[in-house]
Amino acid sequence: MSAPGALLRRAGSRGLGAGGAKVLTVLGTLAVWQLLSNSGALAPDIIPSPGAIGVSLVGVVGEPEFWHALGLTLLSWALGLLVSICVAVPVGLLLGASELGYRSCRFTIDFLRTIPPVALVPLALLLYGATTQMKLVLVVLGAVWPLLLQSMYGVHQVDLVARETARSYRLGPWLRTAFVIVPSAAPFVFTGVRIAATMALLLTIGAEVIGGAPGLGAAIALAQTASDIPRLFALVAASAALGVLINSLLARVERRVLSWHVSQRPTHG
Amino acid sequence: MARVAAAYPRLTRRRLAGFALELWLPVLLFAGWWFASSGSTSLYFVGLDAILGALRDDWLGQAGAANVLPSLRNLAEGFLLAALLGVVLGALLGLVRPLGDAVSPIVEFLRSVPGVALLPIGLLIFGIGTEMKVSLIVYGSVWPILLNTIDGVRSVDATKLDVLRSYRVPAHLRILGVVLPSAAPRIMVGLRTSLSIAITVIVFSEMIGSTEGIGYAILQAQRNFEIPQMWAGMLALGVIGYLLNIGFRGVEQLVLRRHRAMNTTPGS
Repeated sequence: MSAPGALLRRAGSRGLGAGGAKVLTVLGTLAVWQLLSNSGALAPDIIPSPGAIGVSLVGVVGEPEFWHALGLTLLSWALGLLVSICVAVPVGLLLGASELGYRSCRFTIDFLRTIPPVALVPLALLLYGATTQMKLVLVVLGAVWPLLLQSMYGVHQVDLVARETARSYRLGPWLRTAFVIVPSAAPFVFTGVRIAATMALLLTIGAEVIGGAPGLGAAIALAQTASDIPRLFALVAASAALGVLINSLLARVERRVLSWHVSQRPTHG
Repeated sequence: MARVAAAYPRLTRRRLAGFALELWLPVLLFAGWWFASSGSTSLYFVGLDAILGALRDDWLGQAGAANVLPSLRNLAEGFLLAALLGVVLGALLGLVRPLGDAVSPIVEFLRSVPGVALLPIGLLIFGIGTEMKVSLIVYGSVWPILLNTIDGVRSVDATKLDVLRSYRVPAHLRILGVVLPSAAPRIMVGLRTSLSIAITVIVFSEMIGSTEGIGYAILQAQRNFEIPQMWAGMLALGVIGYLLNIGFRGVEQLVLRRHRAMNTTPGS
């Protein structure tokens, strides 16, 4: 940590607190944006002012259709993620546990993982049309790989000494799984869950924008075709807020579940 | 010399066994696909022979180059811009902590905007064209690089920095010579994540706002019910994605070898 930085930070925290600086920065950015819009530097039909977006956002949040769309998006996100976790984590743990399984599947998984799931949108559209099912298929096809890979790595990275110790104490396979493998793999699996959750949201909204399946993405595409630009920005902001919410929720769950793990302990220095 | 010669055949045999171990499943899957789909009458799940035929006609040679090259060019442009932007801004925000802390809510919000939701806005600002695609790639893939660079820069050994400062090493040398190289492993992690995001974004943007590229070709094939061509496009995309990842891994090994060599010198 740099000395001037620490000094500045201390000065800052005496004056306003770290939160104050953040709030000020956000407000300042919004104010500059509004000024640019007012002065005509930003064309309102391309980038509307934050005021106009805010007004539109208030209107959007008051509509039942918005909450319905949000619900549909969240539903396919959550279901898709859940299915992916239920499939990928056990399979990943099993494959990672045996050297044979790990090496046999590494190439296949590596290859399938690199196919961008959006490439499958046309196929999913053909098979299911613009439905929730189509979204689910895409979400699962995209979210399954990071989970599988992270679970495999997690088991593969179990400390050799811990493994040998468990063996020499003659812990049975169940006890070994419960006390050695699962705890060591858990942080990796959680990283996989976080990556998969972001991926799932991206794919849900992507499938809605391209495929026109009902949800937040379809509402965004609709606002664009209707040239309702403030509404377009308001909906995009709402989907970003959804992303922030999901991220912070998962981070909180991770801290709770893994509170015993080294990576969650406060670092010094 | 003799020992090397004696060890050599054993090494190659082991390597061959390793290859066989990694390859049996893909080969089996491929063969299974071939036989399960041969003589298929399904409209959607066409025979693999038809797909491979379409792959040869549409995705190799001249026709393939016309589809693939625009995508690769935009991808390279967007990815390199994102890397530059992410590393420079990340180093700035990581080193000047108060600044980094102050803008963190904005970064957190912007990062959470799903890249695909931005496509309509990108179309609005840039219209259909290269700028739109490149800027969408930059926007979508800059965040992992930025955040990893911030983390990497902040976790540089404080003692090292103090030593450099007390020797009055100028700031630009400190950053280029020590801070960025020490942060390299984290930056590479960010770049790797960003690469797969960039591939997703380019395909996606070609599906909506484009008249060329891989994504356009695949969606067009689907709209015309040219199902073998659609499958071939997806297969080609998989191969391209895989090759890009392999290429990236090579670069990563090159960069990090220097890093490892540097950090294992005695006394560091």
